[in-house]
Amino acid sequence: MLTEVLTQVALVVAIMLLVSIPLFIGRERLTRLRTDWQSRLRTSAPAMLILSVVLLFNRVMRQDDPDIGVHMTETIRGLEGEFILIFQQIGSTELTMYFSFIYVYGYTFLLIFPAVAYFALSDTRMFRRLLTSYTLNYAIGLTLYALVIAYGPRNFMPEVETVLYNASPEYQHLTREVNRNTNVFPSLHTSLAATVGLFAYHTRSSYPKWYLVATVLAVSVIISTMYLGLHWATDVVAGLALAAFCVAASDRIVGRWSLSAIYTDLRSLRERRADRSDGADGDP
Amino acid sequence: MNCDTNGPVDGVDRRSVLAAGAAGLSLSLSGCIDTVRSVVNDDGDDQLSLSIVTVPADGDRENVRIARHLESNLEAVGVDVTLTMRSRSEFLEKVLIDHDFDLYVGRHPADYDPDFLYEALHSTYADEAGWQNPFRYSNPTFFDPLLEEQRRAEGEERRARIDSVLDGLAEEKPFEPICRPGEYRVARTDRFDGWDDGHLATRRGYLGLDPLDEEIDRLDALVTDARPSQNVNPLSATARERGPIVDLLYDSLGTVHSSDDGEHEIAEWLAESWEWETPSDDEPGEKTIATVTLREDCTFHDGEPVTAADVAFTYRFIADTALGQADSPSPAPRYRGLTSLIDEHGIEIDDESDYRLRIPVEADRAVAERAFTVPILPRHIWREELRDRIDTAGDVTAPQGQWGLVTTSSVDPIGSGPYQFESQSDRDYLALERFDDHFTRREDLDGDHLLAPMVEELRFNVDPGSSSSIARVESGAADVTSSMLETHAINEISDEPEIQRLEDPSWTFYHLGFNTRVPPCSNPHFRRAVSQLIDKKWVVEEIFYDHAEPIATPVADEWVPDELAWDDDTSEDPVTPFVGTDGSLNVEAARAAFDAAGYASDSDGRLLGRY
Repeated sequence: MLTEVLTQVALVVAIMLLVSIPLFIGRERLTRLRTDWQSRLRTSAPAMLILSVVLLFNRVMRQDDPDIGVHMTETIRGLEGEFILIFQQIGSTELTMYFSFIYVYGYTFLLIFPAVAYFALSDTRMFRRLLTSYTLNYAIGLTLYALVIAYGPRNFMPEVETVLYNASPEYQHLTREVNRNTNVFPSLHTSLAATVGLFAYHTRSSYPKWYLVATVLAVSVIISTMYLGLHWATDVVAGLALAAFCVAASDRIVGRWSLSAIYTDLRSLRERRADRSDGADGDP
Repeated sequence: MNCDTNGPVDGVDRRSVLAAGAAGLSLSLSGCIDTVRSVVNDDGDDQLSLSIVTVPADGDRENVRIARHLESNLEAVGVDVTLTMRSRSEFLEKVLIDHDFDLYVGRHPADYDPDFLYEALHSTYADEAGWQNPFRYSNPTFFDPLLEEQRRAEGEERRARIDSVLDGLAEEKPFEPICRPGEYRVARTDRFDGWDDGHLATRRGYLGLDPLDEEIDRLDALVTDARPSQNVNPLSATARERGPIVDLLYDSLGTVHSSDDGEHEIAEWLAESWEWETPSDDEPGEKTIATVTLREDCTFHDGEPVTAADVAFTYRFIADTALGQADSPSPAPRYRGLTSLIDEHGIEIDDESDYRLRIPVEADRAVAERAFTVPILPRHIWREELRDRIDTAGDVTAPQGQWGLVTTSSVDPIGSGPYQFESQSDRDYLALERFDDHFTRREDLDGDHLLAPMVEELRFNVDPGSSSSIARVESGAADVTSSMLETHAINEISDEPEIQRLEDPSWTFYHLGFNTRVPPCSNPHFRRAVSQLIDKKWVVEEIFYDHAEPIATPVADEWVPDELAWDDDTSEDPVTPFVGTDGSLNVEAARAAFDAAGYASDSDGRLLGRY
C-alpha cells in the first residue's frame, strides 16, 4: 500500500511541476538555464551536498530514535487545551479533502518547486539560501524531535472526524514511513512551508505569480496541520519561529564562506607555513 | 481526622450489602489506616491532583477515549488532572514496573479461569514489579485466604470463594472493570483454510491453517503494535499484554483447548501425559503430585534436546531469575500467578528417565493444570545468559522485574515451539519460520487438538491502524489481522465472499487501575467515588459502538455472580452506578459523593486533599 501511495504522490507532484514550471518560471529563464546549469551547479554544490547529508541523517534519525528526550505532551496540552478544535467549527467533508490534499501533495510540491525556480535565476544566491534554510530547518527540527517527546492531538482525540487518517487511512503508511508518532514539536510542515512563503515574498519581483500561489499554499499547509489533528498550535508557533530564524540565518551564512576562497586561504596558509619552516631553525 | 467506619457514600452502597460482614470491617479499617498516611503526605489545602496514564490512540483508540471521559469528569468535580500518554511499552513500564501512577486506563489480558485474580490481587505480589498486583493492593486478611482456598476447592465450594472475592473486589476496587470488547478480526479465505479452528490471540489460531495452493509459502498477518518487531523475550512484562508469538516460539506442557460449546481445558502438548496423585484426607500436609511425561525426542530450535531438566529449570527460573545468586530472589515479571500453583523446590526428575518428572502442586488439578501453559525455556541458553551477566557485573544485582535478563531483546529466542525465529525489523515485521522437527509434524500422533504448523513462513507485519489493516487484507496484500480490531473499524469490513469476519470469545477487559499505595487512591471510599464518574453504558455506546459489553466484575460468563451481573434493564452498574445520565455528569451529586468520602471542595469548586 505504501508503494501505491508513493507512486500516486510522485505522479501528482510531477504533473503539478510540469504545469507550474512553464507558467511561473517562463521560457526565457528556462532557455538560459540550458546553457548555464553547469556553472550554477558548481557554485551551489556545497549547499546541495550539506542538505543531502542532513536529509540522509534525517532518515536514519527518524528510524532510530535515540532515547534522550523529555516527555512534553502534558505540558503542551496544559498550555493550549483543546484550542485546535476551533478549526472543527469550519469542518466539512470538502474542506477535509482539500486539506488532506494540501498536506500530502501541496506540501511536497511547495518544497520542490522553489528549488527549481531559484535554480532558474541567474544569480544562484537565492537557490543556495533556500537549500541552506531547508538544511537548518531539518537539522534544528530533528534535534528538537530527539529532545521533545510529544504525541499529536490525533492521538488524544481520535474521534474527531477531520483527523487525516480517519478520512484517508492510506496516508498513514506514508507518514509512518517518514516519521514517528512522537515527532510533533516543532511542526516541520509549518516551518518549511513558512520558509518557502518567506522566500516567495523576497523574490516577489522575480516571481510575482508564485508569490501569490506560495502564500495560499503555505497558509493552507499550516492550517492543515491543525485542522487534520496532526499538530498542536504550540508546534505551529514553534514552526513559524523556526522558519523565521532559518530564513534570517541563511542570509548571513550564504556567501560568507566560499569554497574557492577557502581554497585560496588554505594555499596561502600552507605557503606561509612553508616559508616559516624554512627559516625555523632559529625559532625558539 | 475523621474516619467514618460505617460511612457508605450516599447512593453508592445501595445494593452493596452483599459483601461479607467481616470483609466490610476490614475494608473500612484499611480506609482508616490510609487516612493517617494521607494526613502525613498532604500539604493541606492544596487542590487534589491526579495523573491518569494512557496509551496513544494509534492502534487502540478506545483506551484514550475512556481516559478522557474520566479526565473531564474528574475535572468537573474539581480535581487537577494530568493525562499522561506513553507508548504501549512505556505505559506498561510505568504501571507494572515503576508503579509511577495514580490511575491508569488499560486492558487486562485476563483468562477464562478466574484464578487470574490470584496474580492480580494477592498481597504477596504487592511489592513485586510485573503483571502481578500492579495496584500494589494488600488485604491479607480478606482476599489472600479466599484466593488460596479457591485454588484448592472444587465445584460449588470454589464458586462460593470466587463469589466472595468478586463481591469484595466490587466494594474495595483496587481496579474497576469497565467493559469487555468483542474480539473481531478479518481474514481472507482464498489462500488459507481453517480460520475458525482457534483463537487468533493464541498459538492455536495459527496452527493447522491449510494453504489452498502448494505455491503459497507465506502467511501475512497484520499487527497494529510494533512491539513484536522489537522484542520477543518471553519474560518481558512490557513487550506484550498477550498474543500468540511467545506460544508459537515456545512450547508449554499443556495447551488451552476450547470445545465448541465454550468449555476450556488444558490438553497435553509438549507433555505426552500427566497423572495425578491426590493425598487422602488422612495425610494432611501431603501435596498433590503431577507426574508429567514429556514427548520423547523433541528438540529446541538449535537442536538441543528438550528434557525434564528444562521443565524443572523453567519453573525455578520464573520464581527466581537470578537462581539464588542475587542478594534477594528476583521473580519474573510474568507468569507469577501460574507458577505459584507449583512448588518449584519440590520438583523431582525421574532417576530412570530424562522425560519424566514429579511436580508437587498447591491446587486442585483443574486449576493446577493452568501452570502447564507456561513456556518451557531452554536451560542451556538462559543459564548461559545468567552466567554472562554475573561474570561481567562481578556482584549480582538483579532488580526484580527490571533487570536485563527479563527486559533484553538480545537473548536468543530459541524455544521448541512450532515456529522458530527467522528475522525481525524494527517497526516493520517479525518473521517466523516453520520448525520442521516439531512433534506435531510426526505422523503417529493421536489427539485432534495437536495441530501442526503448515505454512512455511509466518510473518507479522506492523500496520498503522485497524482501518488500514482491513483495507490491506481486502486488497489481498495480507491474509489476516492478528491484532484485535478497534471497534470503530468493524463496520468497514466488506461482505465480499473471500473476506471472513472472525469473532473469538473474549476475556480481556478495559479497566481503571488505582495505585492503592498512594493517597488519595489508597482510600477505598475515594476509589468508589472515582468509579462512579465512569458511565460504562455511555462508554460502550459512544466509544465502542456497542461492540463491547459493560461489566461490573472482571470475570466472564458462568463465573459472574448474579448480584454483579450487568443489569440490562436499568443499564447501571449494580454497585457503583454512574452519577449522571447519558455520559453527562451530575456534578452536584458527584461532589457530594466525594464529600461523603472525606474530600471537600473549596469555594472555587476545587476538590481538596483530605485534611
